[in-house]
Amino acid sequence: MASFDRRRINGPEESRPPVFDDEIDSSPSNLTTREGRSPKDIRPIFLTPGLISQANGSAYIETEKTKIACAVYGPRQIKNAPYNEVGKLNVEVKFAPFSCTRRRAPMRDAEDRSTGVLIHQALVPSLRLELLPKSCIDVFITILENDGLEGCVASGSVAASTALADAGIEMFGLVTSCAGITMEKDIWLDPTAEEATQARGCFTLACMPALGAITSVWQTGQMTADEIIQCTEECQARCKDIHDVVATALLNSRSTKG
Amino acid sequence: MASSSQLSQSKIDPSVFQRLHPRAYLERFLSEGIRPDGRDPGAWRGVSVNVGSISTAEGSALVRVGDTTIVCGVKAEIAEPELDRPEHGFLVPNIDLPAMCSPRFKPGPPGEEAQVLSDRLNNVLISLEVLSTASLCIHPGKAVWVLYVDATCLNYDGNAFDATLLAMIAALKNTKLPMAKFNEETGRTTCSHSSSVPLDIRHLPLSASFGIFDSSHILADPASFEEPLLDAFITVILNEDGALNSIAQSGLATVGEKSSEEVVAGCVAEAKKRCADTRKCI
Repeated sequence: MASFDRRRINGPEESRPPVFDDEIDSSPSNLTTREGRSPKDIRPIFLTPGLISQANGSAYIETEKTKIACAVYGPRQIKNAPYNEVGKLNVEVKFAPFSCTRRRAPMRDAEDRSTGVLIHQALVPSLRLELLPKSCIDVFITILENDGLEGCVASGSVAASTALADAGIEMFGLVTSCAGITMEKDIWLDPTAEEATQARGCFTLACMPALGAITSVWQTGQMTADEIIQCTEECQARCKDIHDVVATALLNSRSTKG
Repeated sequence: MASSSQLSQSKIDPSVFQRLHPRAYLERFLSEGIRPDGRDPGAWRGVSVNVGSISTAEGSALVRVGDTTIVCGVKAEIAEPELDRPEHGFLVPNIDLPAMCSPRFKPGPPGEEAQVLSDRLNNVLISLEVLSTASLCIHPGKAVWVLYVDATCLNYDGNAFDATLLAMIAALKNTKLPMAKFNEETGRTTCSHSSSVPLDIRHLPLSASFGIFDSSHILADPASFEEPLLDAFITVILNEDGALNSIAQSGLATVGEKSSEEVVAGCVAEAKKRCADTRKCI
């Protein structure tokens, strides 16, 4: 499937991912009860700011099988552009070629860009861009391991907000994000990729717990209005917990830096 | 150009001095026999290797050499072999230097530095026969394994070549391929989750890089601040038994009174010690 890219070492023209015989025989199991944790539990988050020394701010987040690194450069000058009164936020997402079950081409494709737009939407309301005329803030996110797109968007938003705080960019509040899915009767929070494929509908919410303001909502699939309201409340409650994790991580990294 | 006495008289903050006069900043340090990050000119940065952390990849490694961080993942796919080499698989290494790892790199397709690194790594892995491509054959003429070895730099603090080679070797060592069976009638290959085979790795080359500053100092393992100021680079690649695989030198390697042969010989001796230490990590 790879087209010849003259800037990289190329393999054969066409190669396919391996097909497993146990996958052909068995169909995916129907999950009725959640394995390993209760429906409202989120997986433990490991978050470290300041991992990338070259960047102005950075963060690395890991939740079981989702691993994301984020670097923030800015505020820096926009060259060759007309005067802009309000600073620009530029979010670029890249899935590493080895991050998904099927190898991804090194070039940025539509999924990268739409994930970037979703994270941009979650972050922009929290930043004081009116204090940064003529400047832009670049947020680069690299997804090292992908366990479901909703998980990536949620963890990516949290990592980006932590990195922005680590870079010292003024903001109204930290943005945290949580995803939920509707199964037959329940709402399960923080879905894995396997759980998300069997869900009726998916819901990702980003908010600023410090201000109680929601910055972005992304909903796909079938959900009734009541389920959406219930999801909103549950995700917001979880976002508050994640906010504590982020705040502790930032304080710890500052105290060790001195 | 301002003389050093003029520079010493004006009171400038050290970090400002570093940005305005990087060459003089480095000269001042080296005249005292030390480098800006506190190392001796011949000292190496600590190495840490972490393998197998990425479950979506067949093999993976995370390497940190000082602050330089490289993540490498190996993905295996199946393809038809080339007509003139029907029993050989493919090994496709690539390094990506994204905009996140350093302010020097702009977003977009691989720049010159990434292309040169990819090419050098390809030469090392293919010409030194790190992996026997014949071992990647599933069915001659019909199906072979293609190993995509993709490395991404997360933090660029100089000497990406050493770190990336170490990451690729560690990732290949960690890789396990599923057992594959080729069905002659349907022409399809099926694999099984139940058993997996490690790769047939022949050699484990490791490298040690040096830079020469001002034809007077040899700096081992250059950091990102020192790299643009260096006149010449020497990279030595050694095998697992300490045998010399290749030496690459760009620029004049004369240092003070020593001729370039002596300098290179000295670097090879230092490289032997360094590679023996690094080898303990993989």
